[in-house]
Amino acid sequence: MVLYSQASCGTHSSGTLQYFLIKFRTCYDMCTQRSPYNWSRDLYQRHGETIEQYLQNTVLPALNDKSGQGGTILLNELKHRWNNHQIMNKWLKKFFTYLDRYYVKHHSLPTLEQAGLRHFKDVVYENVKEQATGAIISLIDEERDGEIIEKSLVKSIVELYENMGLGGASLESYTNDLEQPLLDATRAYYARKREEWIAKDSTPDYLIKVEKALAEEKARVTEYLNPASEPKIRLVVEDEILQKVQMNLLEKEGSGCRVLLANDKSEDLQRMFQLFSRLDNGLQPMASIVESFITSMGNACVEKRQAKLDSGEKEKNDDPEFVKSLIDLHEKYLGVIRETFSGHHLFQKALKNSFEVVVNQDVGQYSNAELMSTFCDRVLESGGEKLNDSEVEESLDRIVQLFSFLTDKDLFADIYRNQLAKRLLNQRSSSDDAEKLMIAKLKVQCGTQFTSKMEGMLNDLAVGSDQKSEFDARMEQHDTKLSFSVQVLTTGFWPTYKTPEVSLPANMTKCLEIFTEWHDAKHQKRKLSWVHSLGNATVKSIFGKKSYDLQVTTLQAVVLNTFNDGKTFDFNELKKILNLNDLTLKPLMHSLSCGKYKVITKTPANNKINSTDSFTANAKFSSNMRKIRIPMASLDPSHNKNRVEEDRSWTIEAAIVRIMKARKTLKHQELIAEVLSQLSFFRPQPRDIKKRIEALIDREYLERSAENSDMYNYLA
Amino acid sequence: PPNIFMAGRKRKATESANQPNKMWGTSSSSSSYHHHGSTSGGARRRGGSSSSSRKEGGSSSGRASSSAIDEAAALKLFEDISDQEDPNVANMEGISTLCEQLGIDPLEDVRVLVLLWKMGAAKKPAEICKEEWMQGCNNLRVDSIDKFKALLPSLDIGFLDREDFKDFYKFCFQFNRQGTHKTLEKDLVIALLPICLSEGRVPSERLQSFCEFLETTKDESYSKITLDQWRSFLDFCYEVEDLATYDESSSAWPVLIDEYVEFMEKKAKDGKKK
Repeated sequence: MVLYSQASCGTHSSGTLQYFLIKFRTCYDMCTQRSPYNWSRDLYQRHGETIEQYLQNTVLPALNDKSGQGGTILLNELKHRWNNHQIMNKWLKKFFTYLDRYYVKHHSLPTLEQAGLRHFKDVVYENVKEQATGAIISLIDEERDGEIIEKSLVKSIVELYENMGLGGASLESYTNDLEQPLLDATRAYYARKREEWIAKDSTPDYLIKVEKALAEEKARVTEYLNPASEPKIRLVVEDEILQKVQMNLLEKEGSGCRVLLANDKSEDLQRMFQLFSRLDNGLQPMASIVESFITSMGNACVEKRQAKLDSGEKEKNDDPEFVKSLIDLHEKYLGVIRETFSGHHLFQKALKNSFEVVVNQDVGQYSNAELMSTFCDRVLESGGEKLNDSEVEESLDRIVQLFSFLTDKDLFADIYRNQLAKRLLNQRSSSDDAEKLMIAKLKVQCGTQFTSKMEGMLNDLAVGSDQKSEFDARMEQHDTKLSFSVQVLTTGFWPTYKTPEVSLPANMTKCLEIFTEWHDAKHQKRKLSWVHSLGNATVKSIFGKKSYDLQVTTLQAVVLNTFNDGKTFDFNELKKILNLNDLTLKPLMHSLSCGKYKVITKTPANNKINSTDSFTANAKFSSNMRKIRIPMASLDPSHNKNRVEEDRSWTIEAAIVRIMKARKTLKHQELIAEVLSQLSFFRPQPRDIKKRIEALIDREYLERSAENSDMYNYLA
Repeated sequence: PPNIFMAGRKRKATESANQPNKMWGTSSSSSSYHHHGSTSGGARRRGGSSSSSRKEGGSSSGRASSSAIDEAAALKLFEDISDQEDPNVANMEGISTLCEQLGIDPLEDVRVLVLLWKMGAAKKPAEICKEEWMQGCNNLRVDSIDKFKALLPSLDIGFLDREDFKDFYKFCFQFNRQGTHKTLEKDLVIALLPICLSEGRVPSERLQSFCEFLETTKDESYSKITLDQWRSFLDFCYEVEDLATYDESSSAWPVLIDEYVEFMEKKAKDGKKK
């Protein structure tokens, strides 16, 4: 038939416009004739048959012919045939457009193009696809092994697969016939590689290979595969070469995560971090190793301190080396986490966890809380470390970070307050601003309640200096021959001090009276108690022909005054005259008669004060210096451990009562949990909380529930 | 003389008007030391005619009510044992005298405590006052030594159910305190527990080992035992039969009990080593 020959011609020629028009016209004529001369159906059928026959008789054998000759050859042939088919399909469709427009639509048949494709699929594709897939996969494997392959060829065949998914944009054929086998092959390939690599490569080297493989696979998809395959291939590769050997890589001896940390291999660690973050829960094992590593580093610092103490070194409440080592460790890993681990939260938590363990390991007589507080003291006192402002701020910042890990924060607060008081009262603080800065930082960490007393102390001094000029003016009105100033401390803010009721000389007493009068006029509701154990004085003294300015404490000044005019007293007499007890008088006399500057002569002359000793002014005293400071041992202990314990008992009880009052009735475990969550500055043992509960039951704030031995009721 | 009887009855009338239920003890308030109407036993008050007559006596003041006991005799008994300096009160000396008459040993026999508990001697430790005595005699329907003696078998603690026993057990603690103290000395507790908890009220092994623990502990804070600790021990015996199931981390038991369990665990371990 004419049409047949014309159809087969169509496959060979690319048709000029005229040729096209002739064919089109012919079709048109055939389809628009009245029935039974309307040849639409026949035409449609013939179209299909023709294509089918052609494929069957010409194309398929040609392919089969090439199939035994190697993948590339087959693929090339397939490509060629497919291209031809696409052209033929296109032109046939053009020629028979009229069919498409009316007959096909009218009868809801597949369009000519679709039919053409369908035929190709059924006849050619289905028979050839397995071999084609196999060929492609071998090519890909070759490329993986480093060979060069014809990427464009593969790409063309992939397009064939893509087009074989009939029914819109369906990738069904591609997915099932190419992608799935490819995934399986990929898996097998990388499983093999993994075994190879893991046996001989160190972790960093292995990871470099992983990085490379993942990049290659990604590029491969972009170059000649369908984009839908990218995530699937990636998952397969990640699974085979990362997930399955994750623990192996992390723990590999000589090159695992721990070793990399120990040797600061930041690039390798960063690579490891980035690769493992691809996996589900891939970072937790790594973070755990990091945590345990940092903990062991911290423990090493603690052990070093322990060794120092064991070797007989004298125990002091000051160990700047130890504190600094912890600070440095923290800073280092803060940086590592920021840069190597992109500040990831799991690693931040790891750092926090490890420091919470390390910082709370107390060794020796002095707690870490005390060591840290003394460290601050060094930074904040004048004549301590010579630091400029920004160094001071940095130091304080870092110590506060370390402080945040401390469990016994209330202990730190107690010691810090004591040391702060000493600095302030002895004018040994290098800078008011630095003190305020530190308190502000603590406030940010712990809240207002924590720092209220400290702020109160600073405030007292500020108020004092404001009112100083006013009082000075008042003093000038009286003639006391003593220059005198008073620091008023608000009870409760400051530590409690001993208040020995020493008998003062008349001129001192007068000064006190003037002040009291002035003060009471200003503040009627306030009561003053004099703390003579604090306080300083400058005593102008004349020994022989030379005069000296002795810088001493108030009590020392009172003693010196007693020895005017060459008087002699024995210990017991002094006790009576001064109205002091042994505990106070002994160190007092020691400082004046047994120290470096023996302004008082003691008989007998030894280093211990006995109640049988007698004292007199040392007429022969002399020194090269004019201004002499005579130190004295502090009369008050550094801090009262018992008080901290007591305060804790009260705090726990207050928390229990508060909680029970609100909840009325509560189960035991819930009460314990609530109490612990409310206590931010220390962490009591559950037994200690229980003891407080029992005490409250005894005092009838609570009762055990009669129905349930596990519950408590609040008793109003 | 009639006046005293009248005065006595009148007082009782007003008393009963104020607290009608207490006499019959059907309320279940655990703080009441009077009878609870659940167990069997010797002289029990019965309902019926006598109660109604009592109530009549209570509601109309001034009318002479007929009690079931001879109040004069009961009163005489009290006067025999009351304290010389304070006739309103009978202290341990007097109570011992009563015990002698009854033929029981006040130091060893738990029935003394049971009797005092049933009579309602709750106001102050180590003594019973006249009101309590009279009330108690009425409740128990005794007015002579012989009737008291007849009462003795019913005073066995084996008869009490758990709730009643808990109440009695608490009374034991409260009654044995000194004056206004709120605690008992540990040594007294060690002596008292076997008496109060006799007759298998708690497994004897538990009782023994607990006393051993108290004896050997060096903890100063346990030199005095609180009411809470005392009561908890009994509840603990009831609720925790097998120490292996004890979980300190979730337990609300007093720390004393936690330490007892620890003591027992250590004992078991040491025993295994041998």
